[in-house]
Amino acid sequence: MQQIKRSDDIVHTAAGPPSCKIVDDNVMQAALAVHLGKKFGNEVEIASFARKSSGFSWITYSFVARSPSAPDRKLILRVGPSNGLFAPYSVLPQVYALQSVARTHVPVPGLVTFDQDGAEVGLPFFVCEHVEGDVPAPWAASLLDEDHRRGIAEQFIAILGELHTLDWKATPLALLNGAANERGEVGAIVTWRASLARPTARYYPLLDWGGRWLEENCPVPPRRTVVHGDYRIGNFLEDKQRITAILDWELTHLGDPHEDLAWALMPTFNAGSRKFYGVIERDEVIELYQKASGIPVSRKSLAFYEAYALYQAAAIQMCAVRAFEVDRFNDMRMAVMATQMASIVRAFDRALEAVA
Amino acid sequence: MSKSFDLLVDGMIDALRAHVLPKCSDDFARGQVFSIIFALNGLKLAADWRAGPLLEELQLQDAAFSEVRRLADKMDHPPIPATPRVETGSTDPVRLEALRDEGDRQLGELLFWATSGSTRAANYAAAKEIERAVRGFMRAQLKVEIGITAKSMLHQIATGEEQQR
Repeated sequence: MQQIKRSDDIVHTAAGPPSCKIVDDNVMQAALAVHLGKKFGNEVEIASFARKSSGFSWITYSFVARSPSAPDRKLILRVGPSNGLFAPYSVLPQVYALQSVARTHVPVPGLVTFDQDGAEVGLPFFVCEHVEGDVPAPWAASLLDEDHRRGIAEQFIAILGELHTLDWKATPLALLNGAANERGEVGAIVTWRASLARPTARYYPLLDWGGRWLEENCPVPPRRTVVHGDYRIGNFLEDKQRITAILDWELTHLGDPHEDLAWALMPTFNAGSRKFYGVIERDEVIELYQKASGIPVSRKSLAFYEAYALYQAAAIQMCAVRAFEVDRFNDMRMAVMATQMASIVRAFDRALEAVA
Repeated sequence: MSKSFDLLVDGMIDALRAHVLPKCSDDFARGQVFSIIFALNGLKLAADWRAGPLLEELQLQDAAFSEVRRLADKMDHPPIPATPRVETGSTDPVRLEALRDEGDRQLGELLFWATSGSTRAANYAAAKEIERAVRGFMRAQLKVEIGITAKSMLHQIATGEEQQR
């Protein structure tokens, strides 16, 4: 195994090979102060700088921006590491999404600044406002009472309906790659197929074959909408029984609204339950969603996107495998994600049988 | 030593050194971490990937190849390896793992072939039967792997917290 100097923090160093570039929290903090100083036209001090989460993809920091002429601002920095799960990263889908939904009923943190080229920081990043709230964990049964969860679940579905009715053509989301492609939802499948085609130690023939089937049998959407791409329990903040922000817009694209619905309904993200957030039956979710969005749900399309959801889950796991095996990203969480591949591929095969 | 076993043990040691030790200031706890690294280095020398499940997967693949050969008789199909591919008593995990991976690729080619328009046009019934058989053997192979997979700890891995019961 390649021996390189590593620390718990990703240290950005020109000495290491590109795939092993690491970010040092101290270097990041200093670079951020320079960037914000230029942005605000004032000297900015960065206080209480701390890694906020142990996410699998973007690195998240919370901090306070302090300047002599303005009140303290609690902000969030998100950085795309060069060897992360979906590297190389672009901030643009998240930036466009935050800009586009800012004045809608979809709650999001306000965007403060971003830099795709990372002139000062060295990596793509964006900064947004801090929003109060907690993130519910999707994998374990919630300790919150049923009424509480039901209230959150209903808000979550209503917000999805709101998102899917957004007229994206008049927003920055129209600048997304593939926006001009009328069958953009097929493009998303093609992208995952390309990701899975990259060399790794294991090849799963059912996954490869099923990916082609999805590409060839992708239904025409009832309406081409914004798709969050990772809309599920665990990707929002809630405070005092209200959803205060929808997070993690990195997979945002234009496509079929069934995709978000199927992804949110995956038992994996509902503590293994077939009920949404463990409290709302699927039929009722569909009913609530249709009422909120005005978009009719096709059972066949939903079944297709349930298969697609498992395909995407498998592709994400394989990204982790690749990050560990090929890019030598020394994060054991990546290595152990591979161990669940057989279960996911089997579930995917069953889902394909259900939709075919 | 199989390639995947080697990678996994190296990754564990690397992660302990890079992520755990720098955050570990207690001498006793650091001693525990170094002990685990030492034990893992020992495992690398002494332990090996279990050959049993790999042999089971290879047998399933061989059965799939035989079935496809029978069903695809006189059809123009991709190469099907002669079976059995492993001689009795073979336990070298590197070789078994490589054969399993190669078998996966060959079965994948056969599945793509069986479900192609031209194969279905040539003999629809045989093509469907081959598809059914290959997918069935692939599922059985996945079942073997699931049987040796530890219960998911995604919650603990993602949050760093014990799962509340």
